[in-house]
Order: sequence, then structure tokens, then C-alpha cells
Amino acid sequence: MKIIVTSVLFVLCIFWLPLVTVGIIRKTKARLQGRIGASVLQPFYDFVKLWKKGETVCETVSWMFRSSVAINASAMLVLSVFVPWLSFKPVVAGDDLFLVLYLFALMRFFTILMALDPGTAFGAFGASREACLSMLVEPSLFISLAALGQSVHTSSLSAIFSFANTGHLAAVPIWFSVGVSLFLGSLVELSRMPIDDPTTHLELTMVHEAMLLENSGRNLLLAEFAHGLRLVVLYGLSVQCFLHVLVCVLPLTSLWLGVLSLGGIFLLGVLTALIESVSVKLQWKKAPEFIAYGLTMSLLAAVASLIEGVQL
Amino acid sequence: MNLTPYEMVGIGAAVAAILMVGSGHLRVNLTMYALQTVLIAVETGLYAYSKHEDHFYFVAAAIFLVKAYGVPRFLSWIIKHIEVRSDPGTVLPTPLVMHLSIILFGLSYLLACQLPAPGGHVLVLAGASAAISLVFTGLLMMLTRRIALSQIIGFLTMENGIYLFALTQTEGMPMMVEMGILLDVLGGVMIAGLLAFKIKKSFEHIDVTQLTRLRD
Repeated sequence: MKIIVTSVLFVLCIFWLPLVTVGIIRKTKARLQGRIGASVLQPFYDFVKLWKKGETVCETVSWMFRSSVAINASAMLVLSVFVPWLSFKPVVAGDDLFLVLYLFALMRFFTILMALDPGTAFGAFGASREACLSMLVEPSLFISLAALGQSVHTSSLSAIFSFANTGHLAAVPIWFSVGVSLFLGSLVELSRMPIDDPTTHLELTMVHEAMLLENSGRNLLLAEFAHGLRLVVLYGLSVQCFLHVLVCVLPLTSLWLGVLSLGGIFLLGVLTALIESVSVKLQWKKAPEFIAYGLTMSLLAAVASLIEGVQL
Repeated sequence: MNLTPYEMVGIGAAVAAILMVGSGHLRVNLTMYALQTVLIAVETGLYAYSKHEDHFYFVAAAIFLVKAYGVPRFLSWIIKHIEVRSDPGTVLPTPLVMHLSIILFGLSYLLACQLPAPGGHVLVLAGASAAISLVFTGLLMMLTRRIALSQIIGFLTMENGIYLFALTQTEGMPMMVEMGILLDVLGGVMIAGLLAFKIKKSFEHIDVTQLTRLRD
């Protein structure tokens, strides 16, 4: 009975959480700028609008353009089932951390292909930046998840994030630094503020939005949905790390864990909006310096898991 | 290895030092240095609490006032007046220096394992590796920076490391010695800061790589 309830809840979360989180980020940013802002449910209305709209596709594109959006969205759905981003996610066999990281890489590959296919200059700009950023951020994601895997002696993500054997104070540094590293990495991965400004209208400086320029209608809807889902999955993963820190200090029931993992994702969304309101976009030259901090936190986790031999 | 909060604060100071090295902005460096020193003051307070030695509370308060508040305040005043904001660094790019200092953190753990325990005591392994790592990090910062002010900060980080080593491995030094060292550090920073001021005035820069030749 319990597994049916959690599965239904989980599937519901896949579909409404991305939209609400994006809505919360937009609303918080609007309030911080002194505007009232659109309702938190605005992304729902946008999706309905995009669903009804017709589609304009460039004449020169090949089949790759439209299929890569579908590939991305389906890869993202598979990822959302594999990655333990909510504490009540049902356990699925085969959720290896290397598979998950390479599925993320696959999505990036097809996004870049989609941007290059129409042959516009802006798309190519965005694609080249995305390739550069992903190359820089990949080591930090790899090392941080591998550090966790090393200390549990498994590469299955649901075994790592299972809240079993917690309560060691010594595990706190590893979980905390992995959480920070994943959050910094996801800011880069999702091309959010210190690296890229998603609301700017200068296509020359954008990363992710520049790649979506040629999409319209339902294609755009799928691309936006995949991006929103990627946002909540990555934020959820880092929230799970912080929850493990919390569990090391005080034990929680599974109901509280579920509530806190949803609340944590919203909190990280608000934090993102705060960062985007108070900071300015970094110079492109300075981006590696920012990404280096994410790598540093993951290296610290790796050192901690190696030299201490901590059992989580 | 089971970590106590006491040891975790020490390691936190070492991590703050590592994060400090990663930025070229002098103000960020100073803030992170202040954070690291606050953690060391907390460590001293925890030591006083666990050993019931009340005079260490005074040492902790003095460290907080002098090294975590006074020195960064003075140095930021100097930064404001000589109008240098950031340090381009030499030899290695700053992010790489940060990653190198993490490798040295691992190395300092191996070094700490080799240390002989002082007679009759158990070596505090985490404290020792944090202290050695602080010394390494300060040294790296002094080696890879261009601006004289960063060298002062690197030197202060090394000093923190030596203090942490003395605090965690021995029963702590007598209060008079601690206070004397604090006074020396304050005096040293004052002189170094004023020297940086003078150098900036007579050479129009404080780039240490260009201060190798003598002239009249």
C-alpha cells in the first residue's frame, strides 16, 4: 500500500514540481525587484499556451532537430526515475552513478546537436559555450558522487542515498561538501546566474536560451519541460545531501524527510533567485574560477572519504 | 576515525584557508582569513572548555579581537588606501593553487601519521593534519602571489597553522607566551602594512616580482 502511494506521489512530483519551482524562482525574483510578478502557476499557463500554438521550423534543418528534443525529454524522464532526488522515490534497479552521469552527458550532446542543426550563429555560440562549461563542470559532479560511492563501497545511487547507517558525525563533512559541490555544479549545468543570465535578451551572451532560439510551439514546450525537470532533479540531489547531514545530527521520520526534500528544493529555488538578484553575471574569463570552487568542494569530499575511511 | 566537534573546527579552519587561496580578490581573501581565525578562536575556546583551563578563554578572546577583527580591519584599510583590488598571481593560476593545496592537505595527513606522539600523550591526528595543512596553504599563497599584501595574509595563515599545532598537540602554551606571540603578530602586521604603503608610494606598485633588482 505504502509503495503505491509513494509511487503515485512521485509521478505527480515529476510533472508538477518543475513548473512550480520555476514559478517560485520567477516570483521571488519579481518580488526582489519590487514587482508583484506573475503567479507561481504561470508556467502552467505558458505550457497550455505553447501546447495550442503552431510550430515554425527552419527549412534547412534535418530530422535531428526535432528528434533531439524528444530524446532529451525522454532521457530526462529516465534520469528522474534513476536519480534519488526525493526521499520517497521508489527504488529502481540499475541506477548506477556512472550511467546517470553519462545520461546527463548524452542530453548535453543532443542539446548541442539541436543548437547546431539550424546553422544560426547564436545557436552555435550557445553550443560552443555549453560544451566548454560542461567540460569544466563534469569532473566536479563525477568526483563528488564517486566520493560518496567510495565511502559506501557501491556505485548504486539508491544504496548511497538510502538514509541507512547514518548517525555518524564523521560523515557530516563528506555529505556537506558533496551537497555544496552539487549545488554549485548545478548552477553551472543549468546555466543560471553567476555563469549565465537566463533572462537577458542579448543572445550573444546567453548559453542555454541561445540554444533554444529556433524551437517553437510544442518543441519548445518539451525542451522547457526537460530543462525544468533537470533543475529539480539536480537541486533535489543536493537537497538529499543536506538532508543526510541533518539526519546525522537528529533522526527524522520518513514523512518529515519527504516534506523536507520538497521544501528544500523550493528553498534552493529561492536561494537561486536571491543569487540572481544580488550578483552580476561573471565575466566569461572568470567562469572557470567559479567552477573551480565546486571542484574544490568535491575534491575535499574525496580526500575525506579516502583518508578517513568513514563508513557512512 | 571518529571526529569530535573539537577536531572538526580545526579542519574547518584548514578548509577555510584552502577556499581563501582560490580567490584573487584581496577582500575575499581577508574575509576568508578572518573566518579561519574565528574558527581557531572557537577551537581555543573549546579547548578551554574541555580541559577546564580558564585562562584559555582570555587567549580565545584576544585572538578573536586582535587577529580575527583588528588585523583584517587594518589590512582592509590599507587595501582601500593603496587602491589595489585583486592579485593576478604568478607561476600558477589561482584555481590550480586551490586544488594543489587540497592535495597538500592529503599529504599533511600522511605526514601527521608519521609524527611521533609526545611522551605519554595521544597524537591528535586531525588537529595535526589541519595545522600542517594550514602551514602548507600559507606557504603556497606566499609563493604564488604577486601583491605584497597577499604575502602578508599567507604569512598570517602560516602563523595560524603553527599556533593550531601547538594548541592541539601540547597542553597549550602559558598565557604570557600566547599573548607575547599575539603582540608580535600585531606588530609584524603593522610594520608590513606600513612598508607596503611606503613601497606603493615610492614605486607606484607593490608587485613583488618586480622588486628583485636593487637600485639607488
